[in-house]
Formats: sequence, C-alpha cells, structure tokens
Amino acid sequence: MTKRPLFGGDALVRAMILGLPFAVILILIVGPLVLTFVISFWQKTGFTMRPDLTLDNYAAFFSGVRLEVLLRSLWVAFSATILMIVIAYPIAYLITTRLREVLVRPVLFLFAVPFLVNYVVRTFAWSDLLSRTGPINSALIAFGITERPLDWLLFSDFAVYLGLITAYMPFMVFPIWLSLSGIDRRLVEASWLLGEGPFTTFRRVILPLSLPGVIAAAIFGFVGAFGEVAVSLILGGTGYQLLGNAIQSALSVLNYPLAAAISSVSTLLMLALIVAWYQFFDLRLMLGKIMMRA
Amino acid sequence: MTSRFTRYGIKIAWAFVALVLVFLYAPLLPPAINSFANLGDRGLFTHYSAILTDWRLMAAVRLTLLVGLLVAVIAPLLALLAAEAVRVWRIPKLILGVILIPLFVPGISMGVATALFFQILGISPSLLTITSVQVIWALPFAFLIVLTALANFDPVHREAAYMSGANRWQAFLEVELPQIHQGLLGAAVFSLILSFNETIRTAVVQGGNNTVQTYLWSQYQQIGLSPNLYALMTILIVATLALIALLALLDARRR
Repeated sequence: MTKRPLFGGDALVRAMILGLPFAVILILIVGPLVLTFVISFWQKTGFTMRPDLTLDNYAAFFSGVRLEVLLRSLWVAFSATILMIVIAYPIAYLITTRLREVLVRPVLFLFAVPFLVNYVVRTFAWSDLLSRTGPINSALIAFGITERPLDWLLFSDFAVYLGLITAYMPFMVFPIWLSLSGIDRRLVEASWLLGEGPFTTFRRVILPLSLPGVIAAAIFGFVGAFGEVAVSLILGGTGYQLLGNAIQSALSVLNYPLAAAISSVSTLLMLALIVAWYQFFDLRLMLGKIMMRA
Repeated sequence: MTSRFTRYGIKIAWAFVALVLVFLYAPLLPPAINSFANLGDRGLFTHYSAILTDWRLMAAVRLTLLVGLLVAVIAPLLALLAAEAVRVWRIPKLILGVILIPLFVPGISMGVATALFFQILGISPSLLTITSVQVIWALPFAFLIVLTALANFDPVHREAAYMSGANRWQAFLEVELPQIHQGLLGAAVFSLILSFNETIRTAVVQGGNNTVQTYLWSQYQQIGLSPNLYALMTILIVATLALIALLALLDARRR
C-alpha cells in the first residue's frame, strides 16, 4: 500500500511543514537547555553576565549549604518516588486485573481529575488543611485523639512528602496501567500451567513485563520532585529548600550563571535517566497500542 | 474459586484506592470554603465581586484566557503535524523521543532555560514568551491524544478518497478530519487545562506580566493569601473541572 502524505507536491515544503513541531521543540527547549549549559560556565558581573569558561558556579553549587540542598533533593525525590510507586502500582494493578472493562476508563479518569487542577493551588489548599487551626487538627482534637494541635502536620517532611505524592502520583498510575494492560494474558496463564503460584507469577512474569511503565512513571515523579519549587516552599516552611528553590533564589539575586549551573545539573541527571531507560526498554512495549497503526 | 482470604484482600485493596482518592480530592475544597470567609454583613459573593474591581486581577484574568486560547489552538496543530510525521517518516521512536522531552525537564529548569534564551536573543518577556513556554509544555500531552485519535483512523479510508479522485487536502478535510476532529478537540481542551495548570514555568518568563496562577504565586510569597485570592482559586478550580467535564463528554461521544 502506498502512503500518500498530507502535504504533497514539493517534498521540501512538506518536510518543512511536518518538521515544524520538531523545530519548535529544538529551538524552544533543546537549544535553550544547551545554552543554559554554556551559560553555566559564564561569570556573573554586577547585574548581568559575561562569557567565560569558569567552574566557579559549579564550585559555588557543590560547596556549603547548596550541596546540602542537592543531597536533600536527591534523597527526598528518590524516597518520594519509591512511595509514589508503592501507591500507584497496586492501584494500576487493581484497575487492570479486577475491574470490568467498562469501568476501567471512568476509574482512571478519577485519578486524572485532581492531577489536572493547578497543583500550586492544591498545595495552598494542603497548607490550609494541615495548619494548626485547620480541619484535620480540629477533627483530631474533637475526637479526642490528641489534646493539642499536631505541629508536625505542616512545615515538616510529612507535609512535603504528602504534597509531592498528591502532586505527582496520580499521573504515574497511567504509564503503569498502560504497560500492565499490554501484558499478554497467555504469558500469565503459561506460568500457571507450569505450576507457578500467584506470587512467583507476579514476581517473574508480571512485574518484569510492567517495568517499562514503572520506570517511565518513576522518572516522571523523580524529575518533578527533584526540581520542586512550590511544595517545598509552601509545605516545608522557611529554610526547607529543594533544588528548585535553590534555582529560584539564585534567580532572585540575578545570579543567572549559578541558576544555569544548578539547572544544568538537574537536566543532565534527567538526561542520564532517560538514556538509561531508553537503552533498557523498548518504547513500543508500552506505546504499542497507540502506535499500532501509525 | 477465589478463597475468602483473597476476597477480603481485594476489599481492603479497594478501600485503599478509595482512601487515596480522598487524599487526592480533599485539596479541591478549602479554597471554596475560604472564599466565603469573613463576609460580615456583606453579600455572599463579596470576595468574588471584589475581583471585578481589582484591575490587576482583571488584567491577569484576561492574560490567562488569552494565553490559554493561544495554547489550545497552537499545541493541537503542532501535535497533528507531529503525529502526521510519525506516519510519513517511519521513525516513530525518534519522533516520540523528541516530542516527549518537555515532559521530563523539571519545570523550573525549563523556565530558566527559555528565560535565558529569550534574554540572549533580546526578546523581552511578553505574551510571546509566556505562550511559547506553555505550548512546549502542552505539546507532549496533545501529541499523545492526537496520536491515539489517529490510531483509530484507518488509512484505507484516505486511500479510498484518493482513488475517488480527491487531492490530499480534500482527502484530509473531507475524510480524515471528520473522523479525528474530536481527538483534535480533546487535545485542544486538554491543552487549555494544562495552561490553567501552569505556574512555575510561566513565573520565570513572564517579566512584569501576570497570569492568574503566577499572580497567586507571587502574592503568596510577598504578602500571603486573602479571601479575594481564594475566590480566584475557586474560579480556577471550577473552570478546570468544567473543562474536564467537557473532555469527558467529548470522550464519551467518540466511543
């Protein structure tokens, strides 16, 4: 079957029109990320900056307080991502295996709705819910569970993790569900026929086959939590900084080269994760359904 | 077949899902409640009508709507071209990899990168910079939606149109578009929702302008939140929920 593309005639014109979205991505995101990397070696001069080849910005980043911020960001993003997977996986698994076909989409939809509401606004809402005089503390006191308001609900690690998980976890259900629902049922049945119980079947068949979706979800959650600005500022309280806050404070004193250096570190880390994911898994495993006829 | 043990296990698992949903939906309520606080003897919608007389807020509302509209038009069109390229160029992995990049760049890094880029080029913060960064953010999502819609379209129909003497544009407009237009519309609504969702990237590239979202963000950092701002948040939440309902409706009609 010959394929006649939409924009016919001049092949060059067609290539240019079809290439437009890629040009947009290259010019507006890949280019700027490369530029940011270049600027990270520049020097700050007063209110502006000048081209240079200095490692000062990285030295400033990898020393003192900012190193602590980097290490904390790595740890918080890593541990929050593990928690998100632990919550999202069973949900995706239940949706895939225990739900009638007609109910799958509506239930997935339930997880999409809160994700689509502005997450900064949702984070503001959490700070209300968790505050000393907020509804959760009032309820706890009314039921006699505690006498005084709990202090650790807000401006704490607990609040930050809660904020991060509710911000990014809902979206992670989707890639995991995609890869779980793509698993050939016959493989599971084959494992049964070969005499394996449900746990071994899960561990040796289902889990490995769903890994592409799990890792995609994990990267999404990790990247989000790692560069977080709003959740740490609103729910962590003063002094609670994640990498995004470090970038923001560098921006606020117009130290663009330093902001560029911190930003580049997080971008490079993200790139390494994506490349590793790409090396290990075939995208088609997960997106096969969407791309089947494309 | 299933033992009583697993049946209880599954019930507990669904209870867990319900609990997670409670946590996810709980934050949608407080802004609405706070927007009706401290009313005194003034009307119920005092804080809402106060928005109308605050010119800074109204400017932010207008900018939010304008940017949202632009994003909702541009992102699906770019997504359609990219989805078309998947079909024509036969390098789906590469195309997907490129278009999905913005999904995996931390929000603030994306903001910093584009802000520096525009600064070096001498393009001052404006509608252009805000719209660009939001289009880039919405594109991967719009692309996946359009790609799904295209996957349900059998190219044989287009071949049939060619054989009946249609040229490429006629085949697209009269045969393909009617079959995929709801997917495109879905991508547009989704892009608008994502535009309403965006704060951090926009805040870095906006300069002196403000959208509703970035106005809330800067007010929180400078002086804290007031009932008027809670009213604004409530409007934002309700508008988003209405758009989601529209999306669901489109989806139900497509099936």
